[in-house]
Amino acid sequence: MDSAVTDWAVISLGNHFRGDDSVGPYLLHRLREKLGDSVDCIENGGDMTRLLEDWTRRRVCLVDAIMAHGRQAGDIIRLNGLAEAMPASVCTTSSHGLNLAEAIELGRVMGALPLQLDIYGICGENFTTSAALSPAVEAAAAKVEQEILKSLMTQTGGPPCTSNP
Amino acid sequence: MAKSKTIKVDYLARVEGEGALYIRYDDGGVHDVKLKIFEPPRFFEGFMRGRDYLEAPDITARICGICPVAYQMSALHAMEDALGLVPTPELSALRRLIYCGEWIESHTLHIYMLHAPDFLGYPSAVAMAKDHPKIVQVGLQIKKAGNAIVKLLGGREIHPINVRVGGFYRVPAASELKPLREQLLQARDMAAETVRWAASLPFPKFERSAEDQYEFVALSHSQEYPMNKGRIASTRGLDIPVSEYDSHFREEHVEYTNALHSVLVERGAYFVGPMARYNLNYDRLSPLVRQTAEDIGFPPFCANPFQSIVVRSLEVLYAFDEALRIIDGYQQPQEPYLNTEPRASTGCAATEAPRGLLYHRYSIDERGKITDAKIVPPTSQNQKTIEDDLRHMLPKFLHLPEDKLQAQCEQAIRNYDPCISCSTHFLQLHLERSGRVGQ
Repeated sequence: MDSAVTDWAVISLGNHFRGDDSVGPYLLHRLREKLGDSVDCIENGGDMTRLLEDWTRRRVCLVDAIMAHGRQAGDIIRLNGLAEAMPASVCTTSSHGLNLAEAIELGRVMGALPLQLDIYGICGENFTTSAALSPAVEAAAAKVEQEILKSLMTQTGGPPCTSNP
Repeated sequence: MAKSKTIKVDYLARVEGEGALYIRYDDGGVHDVKLKIFEPPRFFEGFMRGRDYLEAPDITARICGICPVAYQMSALHAMEDALGLVPTPELSALRRLIYCGEWIESHTLHIYMLHAPDFLGYPSAVAMAKDHPKIVQVGLQIKKAGNAIVKLLGGREIHPINVRVGGFYRVPAASELKPLREQLLQARDMAAETVRWAASLPFPKFERSAEDQYEFVALSHSQEYPMNKGRIASTRGLDIPVSEYDSHFREEHVEYTNALHSVLVERGAYFVGPMARYNLNYDRLSPLVRQTAEDIGFPPFCANPFQSIVVRSLEVLYAFDEALRIIDGYQQPQEPYLNTEPRASTGCAATEAPRGLLYHRYSIDERGKITDAKIVPPTSQNQKTIEDDLRHMLPKFLHLPEDKLQAQCEQAIRNYDPCISCSTHFLQLHLERSGRVGQ
């Protein structure tokens, strides 16, 4: 979005209509309402090569749903996408064969990495088409929302003041 | 007695969705081939029931993040067929333009990221990019131009939100198309280079005998290379209006897969996608594309599925050429959409998704609520042909070491750019309660 006033972007992965997989777009929608044009909020429905376009040389918070065995619904996994290896549970996103780890690796090879990549994975339990968010996932989304807002506030100074005469 | 061997590929890489391959063979031949699609069924057809007819394009777009426009277009045209609505030529041109954008996005992703590593001997696009960063960079640039078309007309690149039954929510002014034109001109040159590069790749020699030849099926239109309209035609003489689709094509449940297999009634497997479009509509391609094909010595009829990468690259070039033609002749529609009033009716449409023929049929009631939906995606139509290819191909490759044989099988599947997510598709759901059976 050309109107963004910082080099930060929030990117969601996931599908609106597949139960807990929709937590990314759900969270993005809530953040967009609070952040306005001050930060780019970009929904990615599954095209990982788009990430290279959207995140290159920017600071990024990326939110996605995760299916992780041995984890509870609503567990939150935070990762530094540029420094930490992606666990397999974060890499199941299928987008014609490229997953998140490959997108990061491709970005590295192509010189198209973000400056900062904070990944928030929220563990889901029900990915059925047309299902609503599970309560635990919804609660986790609220926590992640606060974390992202706090982090953005700290790093950007918050949205621009518009009340000046 | 020859010892039987089995190839099992539990997770097919570089295809959309979750699928597996199982092949049992021995020196005496190939005994079993199963392309297993086990991604959970999507239930979209059931999910649509009770929703408003205006929602169908936006909901079905969510079936696929790679070809949402195809789902939107088929849904729009099916609803308009039900309502007897004919979009104006100006609106039809804009729909064709956004479809060009999707063909560019989807084909380029497949050519550069998914298929090319097979030909160049790499396990993945990332590994290929380490040695050939410029090739991948070109692919990303071309794809970006496709994204720009979809974003301008659809509001965003993925899951566009600006198309609606009757037209668009908003149509662009001619001045908005000008910057896009410059980007497309540059990318068209790269697309022409891509054709030459794709044609230079080493192709396995694989052609079926005349008696086993594919039946290619695609839309066909007297004036245009098919995207949104036309009759359904085949290389064995099928020539029907889309309204007769259900009389000629049937879906079958196969026990080992979640996707229904589609067959031509009394004929069996058929082949949809870029090669079918190209073979049936070569004369409708633009002069630039036909000249380019001629320059590289690529024939007007191609039956080697490994060369589908060349056909895709020709279609990308065509999509740029066509997009530029539409932009140059653009006249802003007087109204962004035609008004619609729901009525109890049934309508159907088929369009050409990047992977091939995509059929939708809907029934709505007098309030415009959807009472029935049927969606037949390209991959479920190609599934039998993919399995047949493997049966035909394997005897010629059985001398290869097992890892190479497996790679060859996977490459053969990727020839079709299957979208397993799109093809998972469920039989009607029957719920039985005491004293009552419902659906």
